Amino acid sequence: MRAPSCRRGDGLRTWRLKAAVHYTVGCLCEEVASDREIRFSKQTIAAISELTFRQCENFARDLEMFARHAKRSTINMEDVKLLARRSNSLLKYITEKSEELAQFNSEQRAKKRKKLEEENQEPVEPAEAAAAEQDNPSL
Amino acid sequence: MEGTSGGFRKELVGKLLQLHFKDDKTKVSGDALRLTADLLKIFVVAAIRSVRQAQAEDLALVDVDQLEKVLPQLLLDF
Repeated sequence: MRAPSCRRGDGLRTWRLKAAVHYTVGCLCEEVASDREIRFSKQTIAAISELTFRQCENFARDLEMFARHAKRSTINMEDVKLLARRSNSLLKYITEKSEELAQFNSEQRAKKRKKLEEENQEPVEPAEAAAAEQDNPSL
Repeated sequence: MEGTSGGFRKELVGKLLQLHFKDDKTKVSGDALRLTADLLKIFVVAAIRSVRQAQAEDLALVDVDQLEKVLPQLLLDF
């Protein structure tokens, strides 16, 4: 696979990230290609990859601004949903995904609570269970 | 997503976003990272599908020309 192009001043960190994006994009292209017996040229994969990398910059800036607008320093799912606002079908898809994630989280918390209760043999406050299962900010 | 199993790892998405934050204090919740990873995957798949559809003839090889044709619409949706 051709290496991603880098501008002067791009650090090693940027290069590595571009390479990681390139790899993921390549994998997705391969999946589609194998389904339909077509091939994607290296230039096309590289172009989509570069496009995706640049789109991340837009996403990051917007997300930061949305969170800041809401007087938060941690970006949450509501901010990400705003990113998808321009297309109805996109927004619908992302909203469904966010609901799945929220559902998954509450199921996990319920499981933890049940486990704690069984271990301690006494009822546990929902807040305790939530703290035990806290979704730590990743950055 | 229908038919595809590949995708962006949470950690990668985190680092990609972090690269462009203006404020050091800005963080991203785990759920937001997963959701952003989904969004990025759709972005890529949309680009791939648009390119495929933009083929006038049944080309076996999809080239940058097709991508250039669909770029404006793709970016408008995002």
